[in-house]
Amino acid sequence: MLKVKKARYHGIKLPELSIGLDYSDADVQHIFVSHAHTDHIPRNRKSLQGHTSLAIYATPPTAALMRLRGFKEDIVELPFFETLTTDLFAMTLYPAGHILGSAMAFIESGVGNILYTGDCKTPASPATEGFELPKDRQVDQLIIEATFGLPIYQWKSNEELQSDLMSFARKALDEGYTPIFLGYNLGKAQEMMHMLSELPETKQIHGAGYPLCAVYEEFGIDLGAYERYNRASSEGCLLFTPNSGLESGFASHIKKKKIAYCSGWASHEARRTQTQAHALIPLSDHLDYFELINLCEYLQPKRTYITHTPDPKVVLHDLQQRGHDAVYLDMMYEELE
Amino acid sequence: MQNKQEAADNFELWARLVQDIAETRGSNAKVELCANYFAQLAPSEVSLACQFMGEGAFSNISGKRASVGARTIGVAAADYCGIDYDIVFKACRTASGSSTETIQRLFENLPEARQKNTLQHWNLARISELAEELTQTRGRKDKQRILTRVWGGLSPLATKYFLRLLSQGSLRIGFESRSVLQALARSSQVDYEQLRYAHMLTGSLAKTAELACTNRLDQAQFKLFNPIAFMLAALLHSRSVDHWQDFIAEEKFDGMRCQLHAHGTKVELFSRDLNAITNQFPELVELFGGKNFPPTVIDGEICVFRDHTIQPFQELQKRMGVKKPSEALLSEYPVIFIGYDLLYLDHEAIVSRPLTQRRRSIEKLAKTYEFPISKQHSIDSKDQVDQLFEQALAHGNEGLMLKEKNAPYSFGERKNHWLKVKRPSGSIDTVILYAQAGSGKRGGSYSDFTLGVSVKEDPRYEEEFIPIGKAYGGYTDQEWKDLNKAIKGCIIDRFGPTAQLRPEIVVELEFEAIQPNSRTKAKYTLRFPRFKAIRWDLSPKDVDSLEHVELLFKEHQSKERSPQKSSRSFLYPK
Repeated sequence: MLKVKKARYHGIKLPELSIGLDYSDADVQHIFVSHAHTDHIPRNRKSLQGHTSLAIYATPPTAALMRLRGFKEDIVELPFFETLTTDLFAMTLYPAGHILGSAMAFIESGVGNILYTGDCKTPASPATEGFELPKDRQVDQLIIEATFGLPIYQWKSNEELQSDLMSFARKALDEGYTPIFLGYNLGKAQEMMHMLSELPETKQIHGAGYPLCAVYEEFGIDLGAYERYNRASSEGCLLFTPNSGLESGFASHIKKKKIAYCSGWASHEARRTQTQAHALIPLSDHLDYFELINLCEYLQPKRTYITHTPDPKVVLHDLQQRGHDAVYLDMMYEELE
Repeated sequence: MQNKQEAADNFELWARLVQDIAETRGSNAKVELCANYFAQLAPSEVSLACQFMGEGAFSNISGKRASVGARTIGVAAADYCGIDYDIVFKACRTASGSSTETIQRLFENLPEARQKNTLQHWNLARISELAEELTQTRGRKDKQRILTRVWGGLSPLATKYFLRLLSQGSLRIGFESRSVLQALARSSQVDYEQLRYAHMLTGSLAKTAELACTNRLDQAQFKLFNPIAFMLAALLHSRSVDHWQDFIAEEKFDGMRCQLHAHGTKVELFSRDLNAITNQFPELVELFGGKNFPPTVIDGEICVFRDHTIQPFQELQKRMGVKKPSEALLSEYPVIFIGYDLLYLDHEAIVSRPLTQRRRSIEKLAKTYEFPISKQHSIDSKDQVDQLFEQALAHGNEGLMLKEKNAPYSFGERKNHWLKVKRPSGSIDTVILYAQAGSGKRGGSYSDFTLGVSVKEDPRYEEEFIPIGKAYGGYTDQEWKDLNKAIKGCIIDRFGPTAQLRPEIVVELEFEAIQPNSRTKAKYTLRFPRFKAIRWDLSPKDVDSLEHVELLFKEHQSKERSPQKSSRSFLYPK
């Protein structure tokens, strides 16, 4: 089995292969970036500069999104299902279903293989390349995220969620309100735009999310008719913004508006008062608890590492009861949704 | 015949309505939903529906409690869905910030719980019986057996609200008894004020609804020796006063609020949470019982009074909660009751009369029966208020109360008819040692904080910092978000919902008083600690020391208190 090291603030390291997974330090030769959310992109850019022996890998959509978000270092683009082979290992990327470009890394070496999921979702988010596992391979070591690793989390199907989004928007518009969807600028916003693409009303998205939409379209995700948020013409459109946008004046001039908070965390009633939303729609880009356990059961890895979880004991307890060898990799747990 | 599932008084329907109210924003829209629901019910059903909405499984005046502990419920719920209580249930509760919401989700999601469920379509009366059964049952195991039976017949949503009913607290849907009364006024087409008055007099939503639905509101009777909700004061700084002359000023006593009911030789005392505290203060019972009062209800304050001086609240604490106090305690901490409002006299509730009229009545009463009442000052300027404020502090009192002359006694409400003028006793710079995930409104994020003072150079301790108090509020929403962000970078360890932090974040903590407390490591605790400011500009080495806290305490204790001789904060007509 390969050694797996957590590097507290810097991601995960496979020291024998000199690989960093969503990693921020320059003491490895290869860094894999699973997707373009900031908590997974290398942060310590200074220390990465000038390290010619270090290569950063990402899928083409992830690379495009990273560059748009200001990542300046070179990125080696590795398309899905293509294998990168070095002396020590072969790495193939599989679609993770979390956001556009999100990938799982399947790394095979002389001492066994590892599947690193990054952030993932199955069934996949409809605005992604889907979710696929390596075929006909027994996974030796699985590193999997458990952001929603508690049995209080169970998602509705994508179809039901789409219908919730549609009826929220339809009802608001019919009653003369402007619907506002609160969600993260990258991933969640585009996912909702895609799910609402059938609605004829123009979609306006917060300025920070707007340029990222072009990448989605370039890679074949239909977002319907959309434009950058424009205060003057925003009333009566479908609006998309992160929470922070509302606090800094987004749509503050619109009196008649209905706000939907769309996130896995929306399954908590407390978010109703915390966000001042009219509706909570638990639309998540992560596995729910049951999907997580099912995936582990399906893969039957020799060892499972849990990361990013509110309380590791719960998933570990369940997996161990099912006869799995499961351990916790203590990463900081982010509420990024 | 109506289908069982569709009966309007089905508890499932009630629960769904409650959830709809929770999901609706704006109190008017909430009231309308509720009123429409009431309109579908028979009069006898409205009573119970109202009581469930505003009071819980039992009427406030019944004195009944389900007395099922959170742990009893949690353990039973974990068993019910086949999970481990300590490992799984507690983690879920921490994440959601609500035990009842956790139970709803688990019962929805876990197959083992779903299999045990057969919807029974119980009506409200049946739910009331089941709650009653719980009060009649002793022993955890038996209570758990009943709970399990109830859960098997309810949807997970209805289960959540059933459990909230048992706690006799709020349903936490932003819909308190006032809104219930508004809905009731709308559905039964009676005047809201009349309804509110009846509610105040009956002390019961169920009874009020019954009277309203049968056109008998005029029968609402005030009952002596049944407490009514206290009128509360808002802070002065929250709204400025336009016309000072509309108010009078009284000193705000450093004691505990008390409602005194007296008739003949009988006396009852009620605390602010409407509990009887009569047996804690036998000297007051003896004093007032000996005066042969007509039926009377007085709102006032209990203070420790010795050497003609009102003693600090800390001294009163020695008496609080002590039933049948010893002779020694009585002579060391003698108390007086200072009246400041009159609610009921000679079989008549006078709460709706303006303050000036009630004042005239209490002055007359105080003269006849010889008991102390607050001293009132007319005011006409801010300067005068400031001057009186200083005088109140000199007496050792907390500050001033400003009361609007023309206002009625708005029982149970915190409005701007009464304003309190207070100055916080002090503040110290502390560092956050632990953060705890909160519940309710701030559920799922860190909202409770344990603050520490420095003992680095204190030979009595080996630690660098030790806890001095816990604060739950005083920060803005933005500060709370910033704090949660900063905390993530400081976590050293986790114990369930609690995170231990590297001491880095400095908080200026405001408090009302410092109290000695031998059970804590610091030997002192703070009264009403809350955030004054997060001092991002300070580092842990700027944190105040325990010795500093001790010094502040000693200063406060030894502060001169002017005796009630030449200048007085209350009158004792003799």
